[in-house]
Amino acid sequence: MFRPTRTTGGIAALALALTAVTILLDNPAAALAAGSLALFLLWRGWRFNRDLRVLATSLAVEREVDRTILRQGTAATVRVRVDLTVPPGVDVRVRDLPPAVAADEGALCEPGIPTAYTIRLMAAGETAFAGNIIEASDAFFSRDLLCRRFDAPHLQVFPVGTKYAGGKGVGTREVEVDRRATLAGSGVRGFRLYNIGDDPGSIDWKISARRGTLYVREPTGLEGGGPLIVVDLPRRNDSDRETFARFSMVICDAVEGGIESHEGCSILVVTSGEVVRFLPRTEDLRKALQALEGLAPVEPRAPLYRAPGPAVLAARARLPGREGGQEGGYLAKLGSVLGAFADESISPFAVAVGKAMDQAEASEIRLYSLLRKDDASHLVQLTHEAKVRRMRVILRAPAGAGTIPGVDTVEVL
Amino acid sequence: MAFDRRFLLLCAGEVLVVAVGDLVVALILQVIVLAAFLGDRRGYPVYAAGVVLFAAVLAASGTIALLGLAAALGVGYALLTLYDYRLARWAGERA
Repeated sequence: MFRPTRTTGGIAALALALTAVTILLDNPAAALAAGSLALFLLWRGWRFNRDLRVLATSLAVEREVDRTILRQGTAATVRVRVDLTVPPGVDVRVRDLPPAVAADEGALCEPGIPTAYTIRLMAAGETAFAGNIIEASDAFFSRDLLCRRFDAPHLQVFPVGTKYAGGKGVGTREVEVDRRATLAGSGVRGFRLYNIGDDPGSIDWKISARRGTLYVREPTGLEGGGPLIVVDLPRRNDSDRETFARFSMVICDAVEGGIESHEGCSILVVTSGEVVRFLPRTEDLRKALQALEGLAPVEPRAPLYRAPGPAVLAARARLPGREGGQEGGYLAKLGSVLGAFADESISPFAVAVGKAMDQAEASEIRLYSLLRKDDASHLVQLTHEAKVRRMRVILRAPAGAGTIPGVDTVEVL
Repeated sequence: MAFDRRFLLLCAGEVLVVAVGDLVVALILQVIVLAAFLGDRRGYPVYAAGVVLFAAVLAASGTIALLGLAAALGVGYALLTLYDYRLARWAGERA
């Protein structure tokens, strides 16, 4: 309903005072003044209602979102232009409302002037803008009118799909939990639906109340330099076109998000024992996406690479012979042979990856892989190099594809 | 501040209207004072016609006409609320 201004309150008080004068003095002129002031307010209210109707019917909104691929928790810029017929004597501003799942308040727009603002969508799924609020006022009344007619464009938000290791669901292997990432006070990367077994303390009650179902916060993890995004290209025979297209889309989105939410990111593309491409720390999104252009499943030069690297060889060499007798002797001999090879062996792949990591100066590695079942030894080397440099490794792989030793967190691709 | 000064002038005008005493002169003064108070006079003749009608009723039936006016105003505000509700409903619908 309309809100009266101070002037309206003053006129109403004046009308009441004149009514009192009429009653006390029986003065018809005072009665006329009191009645005409009350009529005046009614007339102004009616006129304001008509002006508001003109504003609502003439409203036209053009809205553009700069990103075509939206990921849960990442920022997107919205450009909006509002046009409407403003009757004389009426002040109008229009507030553009972001989608209900956005963690922002929207922006105030002047009619005819393009405005840009940023939104961050915190929940996955299909969503649309909530409309506009016309904030109109004249000398006597003001009113905020919600218009929902302009909700385009409809947005599709992809989930982060995080599954933290150490809780459950990654098999019987004990996986190191990065507790620093879950300390109170760490940033929130996004939100996802509550799963049974999640920590009730991580439930975000505000988002949950807004969406009508439980959502939990996902911590940002370690902050530091930009992440190193490692892409493990699948072999030609290992992936169909559709799977690879989705894989590429997720990687492009990760690079985009990485550049926007951090101070740039680095990109390393590998396949079996081979570094395909490396782009050191960049903040230029176009350059980063150019580095990912033309990626396709490859036919590796070493199809049967299966080289876990010197570190794993050395670890195997240190295995004690648990049993005596013939088997114990065999193991001891094998250990000495492996040890000799480990000392002499140098993995060019591990060296190249190590140099890339040094150049990237990242504190976190995000490894995207479809995880071949027959050989993930190059990824074992890569993870080992990361651990030597005290980097946190997040593996993003298809559900049920397994994991790699040394990975901190496994997330579903 | 400028508007406050205009409101003070309106109050002064109302005092003048009451001081005049005569209904016809008061009516003319009242229409002039309120017209001077307004910046934008779109639709003002409609209001002026309403005031003339009210003055005629007042002249015919005395100050008791204020009670009738109060009832009419109540209906008017109720109608205004209804129109506003319909506008809010219409605007709130999705395309």
